[in-house]
Amino acid sequence: MTTSVSIDSVTKRFGDSTAVDNVSFDIAKGEFFTLLGSSGCGKTTLLRMVAGFMRQTSGNIRFDGKIIDDVPPHQRNTGMVFQNYAIFPHLTVFDNVAYGLRARRRGKAEIDREVKRMLELVRLDHLTHRRPRELSGGQQQRVVLARAMVIQPDVLLMDEPLSNLDTEMRIHLRSEIRSLQRQIGITTIYVTHDQEEALLMSDRIAVMSRGRIEQLDVPHKIYAEPKTLFVAGFIGENNLLPGTVIARDADGSSLIELPGGHRVRGMGGVDAAGQPCLVSIRPQDIDLGAPGGARETGIDGTVTDIQFLGGTVKLLVEIGADKPITVSLQGRRGMDMPEAGSPLRLDVPLQAVRTFKPEARA
Amino acid sequence: MTTLSTSPNAPGRMQVAIGRLFDFWPLVTVGALVITTLLLLLPVYNIIGLSFSGTEAGKSVFENYAMFFSEPYYYRSLINSFIVSLSATVLALLVGIPAAYFVSRYNIWARSLIKTIVVLTFVSPPFIGSYSWVILLGRSGVLTRFFGEYGIPLPSIYGAPGIIFVFTLQFFPFVFLLVSSGLKSIDQSVEDAARNLGSGEFATFVKVIAPLLLPSITTAGLLVFVAAFTDLGTPLILGEKFRVLPLLIYGEFVNDFGGQPVLASTLSVLLLAVTTGALLLQRWLSARFSHATSAIRPLTMQEPRPAKRLAAAAYVYCLMAVAILPLVNIVISSFLKANGPVLTAQLSLENYRRIAGTISRPLWNTILFTSTATLACAVVGTLIAYIIVRRPGRIGALLDTIVMFSYAVPGIVLGVGLVVTYHHPPFALTGTALILIMAYFIRRLPFSVRSSASSLQQLSRDTEEASVNLGAGPAVTFVKVTVPLLSMAILSGVLLTWSNTIRELSATLILQSGSTATVSIEIFNEVVNGNFGVASALGSVLILLTFLPLLVLFTFMGKNEEALV
Ligand SMILES: Nc1ncnc2c1ncn2[C@@H]1O[C@H](COP(=O)(O)OP(=O)(O)OP(=O)(O)O)[C@@H](O)[C@H]1O
Ligand SMILES: [Mg+2]
Repeated sequence: MTTSVSIDSVTKRFGDSTAVDNVSFDIAKGEFFTLLGSSGCGKTTLLRMVAGFMRQTSGNIRFDGKIIDDVPPHQRNTGMVFQNYAIFPHLTVFDNVAYGLRARRRGKAEIDREVKRMLELVRLDHLTHRRPRELSGGQQQRVVLARAMVIQPDVLLMDEPLSNLDTEMRIHLRSEIRSLQRQIGITTIYVTHDQEEALLMSDRIAVMSRGRIEQLDVPHKIYAEPKTLFVAGFIGENNLLPGTVIARDADGSSLIELPGGHRVRGMGGVDAAGQPCLVSIRPQDIDLGAPGGARETGIDGTVTDIQFLGGTVKLLVEIGADKPITVSLQGRRGMDMPEAGSPLRLDVPLQAVRTFKPEARA
Repeated sequence: MTTLSTSPNAPGRMQVAIGRLFDFWPLVTVGALVITTLLLLLPVYNIIGLSFSGTEAGKSVFENYAMFFSEPYYYRSLINSFIVSLSATVLALLVGIPAAYFVSRYNIWARSLIKTIVVLTFVSPPFIGSYSWVILLGRSGVLTRFFGEYGIPLPSIYGAPGIIFVFTLQFFPFVFLLVSSGLKSIDQSVEDAARNLGSGEFATFVKVIAPLLLPSITTAGLLVFVAAFTDLGTPLILGEKFRVLPLLIYGEFVNDFGGQPVLASTLSVLLLAVTTGALLLQRWLSARFSHATSAIRPLTMQEPRPAKRLAAAAYVYCLMAVAILPLVNIVISSFLKANGPVLTAQLSLENYRRIAGTISRPLWNTILFTSTATLACAVVGTLIAYIIVRRPGRIGALLDTIVMFSYAVPGIVLGVGLVVTYHHPPFALTGTALILIMAYFIRRLPFSVRSSASSLQQLSRDTEEASVNLGAGPAVTFVKVTVPLLSMAILSGVLLTWSNTIRELSATLILQSGSTATVSIEIFNEVVNGNFGVASALGSVLILLTFLPLLVLFTFMGKNEEALV
């Protein structure tokens, strides 16, 4: 894999506030790379620095190994897709898509051929001469996508391209974008605050919070092995419980006591005995065991609420902590449905329990 | 993939820094600063300099000012200017606010005709209104003689009362238009709440609506004040022995011609000080009073009792009848046979026949100067608006301030300044077409900038950035994306500029030479010579030229009369 874009210790300050804080990563050629984070964490700022609309306070950005900090935005050869389309309202679909090729002074025949090919790819070839106001939101977004890809940019930059669309269109377009990206093999930086979108589409995800990268990894690792408390709380559903490490074992796992006196085994950032920690457990990683019996680990509790969601069943289990723990079961034919008020024993496998330093949350 | 990459090799830092200076927008910024400096700052600087230059060596630099404030002949004019302008302001507010309220709130009849009359009054040149009133109420005026036969003496149209009367009628549309649009931004719930708490309609207006209208009212008041304070045509026609400051400037300038207009400069600086002060006051007040409310449900139209409705309608109709009377009079009298200043009751096309031979040159001048200045305003104004809105920073703010300052410089002051600055070789421009175009351009520039800037602010940056991102440089992006997206705003700016420039009189009086005379100068000359019939024919042509673009603006471009202020 060769590197296409490198972000090297990039920081951006606006006055006193730091929007992007010493961020570094490399993106491989053809990779679909996602910046995921909640509002205001600096995703757009980072993307705009790559596009050249803003200059970083410090650090370098490289395309194919060359520093491009002094290259003005119109010479960077990036293709940007904006959140609110930014379609040229006074130009037809064809002229919108041809815009970048004309700016590059390509021949007429080539422009005709390339635009047509791209419009076929995004399945808009029947709307070539329409004006943007005669298009639906999804169609407009596809025009903008075609417009950004037809110039064969070194990197495609997408800033929440689907957030203005309705759910159905969003679900439809995200697979379309992904398959187009694979087909053309274009290096892509994708910005979103929608974790489902990120997990589904990306080769790798950088989870951002307050200008920093919290974790950078492939989607299933991000989901299964959150490195920080922020990631554990941000991605997917998680039970977060305060606890104390009691002992550390030779295999690297530690024994943790939860409120209510329950004990579980887990791995993670806190392992010295006697230290307080926060524990994360995914609801679907919890198994139901037989109640009673004295074992070293396990959580005893009482079912307080049952939420039947079809494919899954959610149980809220009171365990003596300040909030109930959520357990998610697969809804199966003929399953034993627990009853509200009945006692339960929860087993949690070692791999499902991760510990974090509590102050990391502040 | 990246086979078609066009990224150039990154050049050295120094090269980049120097290269940036020659980028499109830095170049445009420098150009805009140079133009505004040459056309505005330098002339103003020169008249200020001249006003402090003594005629004899060894005297104080304040000699000219000391003279002004010690000689009654001079300082009276300043007092007179304040008297007529303040009176006109108060009267215009008193007349205009109720009219706007009635037309906006009551379902009186023919509301669109009323708005048309307001617009016509607003755009018609003040000096045409003045001499039209002379035809009606002058010593041998139509109405004066008519009532005289019955032994009823009418008040004189000359002197201070006449000037105040004409100013009030001429400038109350400022109040009408601003207050109407102010009323639109008040939410119905505000009124409902007050009425619900037991206030009557009048009390509600005074206690609740009027305070919310304060920004519109103060702005309108100051605009009326400045317009009245700087107008030259009306006091020239109606003033007789009553002298106001602009009149004195013109008189001194004509006297000094050939020499250095030291006194005219001194008076100009005083005039400029007053208008600048008024503009600063307006900015301060509107910043202070702006409530920034926008109505979700604007004030609704009421259906008052028939008596109330009739009374309101009668008031508005009377006002409109008086306001439109001078224009109607011009058009009618242009078709009457004239005997010097006395018009007969005979219909004829003689006036038009008489102007047919002589009008082509001034008409051509008017159209050429106005069009050139208007186009220059559109181009330069849009570029400056872009810098102010899209490239904020210290230089953008400076440019903004300079442009707004040109709004404060009265036409007559600008005229004197341009003559002082461009009278001597190698830049001897006095008497040329260019100097008139320069004056028209810089006077209307703030309006073009403001109209482009406000629509640019509503335009998302993304569209322009998308263009840049696709490889179009800043200049190409401006031409291919920004300008098309602003085209409606630019076009309506062009139409408004044309309408406002074509009737310019005060700067033109200072700057024209016989060969660059415009239609308004011709009218003025005919009025001075007492050829009222010919003046009316010319005046009708000018009114037509002024109103045509507005007709386009209102009928085809969906603008309403509030675009005027
Ligand atoms: N031009 C600017 N001037 C000052 N502060 C800015 C500017 N642009 C962004 N910021 C600040 O930088 C931080 C990051 O902003 P950014 O737009 O990158 O967030 P984001 O991750 O894209 O959020 P969202 O998901 O809401 O789009 C925010 O706190 C924002 O207020
Ligand atoms: Mg953003």
